[in-house]
Amino acid sequence: MNATTGGVPFSFSRLLIVAGNTFTEAVRQKLFNFLLLLAVGLVASAQFFREFNFGSSELKFISDFGLGAMVFFGSTLTIAATAQLFFSEIENRTALTILAKPIWRTEFIFGKFLGVFAVIGVFCALTTLLLAGLLCSRENSLMALHPDAFPNGRLIHYGDLMVMGVLQWLKFGVLAAITLLIASFSNTNLYTVVMSFFMLVICHLQYLAHDAYAQVASLPLRLLVRMLGYVFPNFQVFNLADQVAIGSGLDAGVVLRVAGYALVYIAVIGGLAVYSFRNREI
Amino acid sequence: MTPAALPLAIEIKNLTKDFPLNLRGVKLRAVENLTLSVPEGRVFGLLGPNGSGKSTTIKIILGLLEPTVGECKVFGVPSGRVDSRLNVGYLPEAPYFYRYLSGTELVCFYARICGVPRKRLDERVREVIDWVGLSGAAQRRVGTYSKGMLQRIGLAQALVHDPRLIILDEPTAGVDPVGSAEISELILKLKAQGKTVLITSHLLAQIEDVCDRVAILDRGKLILEGDVNELVGQRDRQALIVDPLSPEQLDELRGWLAARGHALNAVEQPRARLDQLFISRVSRPDKGGQK
Repeated sequence: MNATTGGVPFSFSRLLIVAGNTFTEAVRQKLFNFLLLLAVGLVASAQFFREFNFGSSELKFISDFGLGAMVFFGSTLTIAATAQLFFSEIENRTALTILAKPIWRTEFIFGKFLGVFAVIGVFCALTTLLLAGLLCSRENSLMALHPDAFPNGRLIHYGDLMVMGVLQWLKFGVLAAITLLIASFSNTNLYTVVMSFFMLVICHLQYLAHDAYAQVASLPLRLLVRMLGYVFPNFQVFNLADQVAIGSGLDAGVVLRVAGYALVYIAVIGGLAVYSFRNREI
Repeated sequence: MTPAALPLAIEIKNLTKDFPLNLRGVKLRAVENLTLSVPEGRVFGLLGPNGSGKSTTIKIILGLLEPTVGECKVFGVPSGRVDSRLNVGYLPEAPYFYRYLSGTELVCFYARICGVPRKRLDERVREVIDWVGLSGAAQRRVGTYSKGMLQRIGLAQALVHDPRLIILDEPTAGVDPVGSAEISELILKLKAQGKTVLITSHLLAQIEDVCDRVAILDRGKLILEGDVNELVGQRDRQALIVDPLSPEQLDELRGWLAARGHALNAVEQPRARLDQLFISRVSRPDKGGQK
């Protein structure tokens, strides 16, 4: 909207109040509890599927399966929760009562984002801790049964697993920002959810664009593909699971670069969502 | 002080609002060249049939919509600015609040958004909930509230930061006559406190009871504005209410009046208003909203 800077400064405190309310709403909704239970159940069930390890080592299978469950349910939760928590404000007209108060739309949008981000943070923390517990328990059993297989001590990098959880959280943050951007101009919840899933697929297939532009001879086309590569965040950069279990461990420089990559995209996409929402007539 | 001399709470000048209907540039004109002033300390009724532009006007006052042409100021501040809403409380039509919060949590949330100081927060929330008569249901989840209770908790959130201007969009829509009468009482209490109230309602009897001044919109245009007493009062006539008279006494009275150049235009039995009869017979809700 056409708000100017007169009188009411931007307030981080108001932003946190909106975030807190969004978090409470999400936690009290059944969808969050359902997805959390499902994810926890699936992560926990990884140890029962160890016979189907397709040639991988058992610990790596548990790790991959657990992280896969986290990514799948985390993505679903991120898109569903962000769209639902935004549109419940519009459809129930609670946005009217909030925005009729002395509050900036920027505070409202980033408050919604932070609330959802906190919800996803809880989800990632719980599933990561559960996965670490399962891996540790199984690794202890295997070390007791086959000490020769562990000549250099533990195979799993538990610290890196936690870092991996944080990186997934940041990736979901980028996805939440994308969903919020779509919601800021969309008229329906369904459209937002469908478009966000499309975006999720595009962002996961981003590496194809990178491969493509390297092989395209035409300069304008190469530049176009390269530009599209910047427009859509590349979710493959968050895929560091191979280094966590039985791998060489995570490189601190790579982790910082990936985290910075996510934060830049969150800031830019969040800014676009604010711009779009400021022009929206409620 | 006459209305013209009072400082203005709302000042609308030549306001037009168009909504684009499609990409070919077809527009719907919701409000057309509206000029309106609401003096401070008055209860102002904005009337009109559905689709007349009342809600659009209110949204522009609240900065939720931007005018296509013209300007709107609240206490002298352009309505698009965030600080124009510092002294405004708003109850939307058919309010729907966060169902999972209790009444206290809900009002507390809005109070914090409005910047009510933390040390005054609990006291102010309790005070305003008590004022709207919901103290008995304050700890219940809003999802369990009746329509009348939702209106009252809506009023509480609108008043929690002690605004000078309160905007009530159809505050009695879907509320039973008892609840409606209670809301009217609350509006009159606000007026007694010196607050400015802008109210829209389809219940014209209620508007007549509580408003000092009204404006009527039709298809986005202002068609009538003035003080209620001036608009509906018949200054050239008087009504006398007396004990029942026999036909002979009535004839005598007619003759007496005719001798003095007056006519007895109507003889009818005064009637109580049905809503007043209803309110006097049914029990009122207690503080918890239960009948």
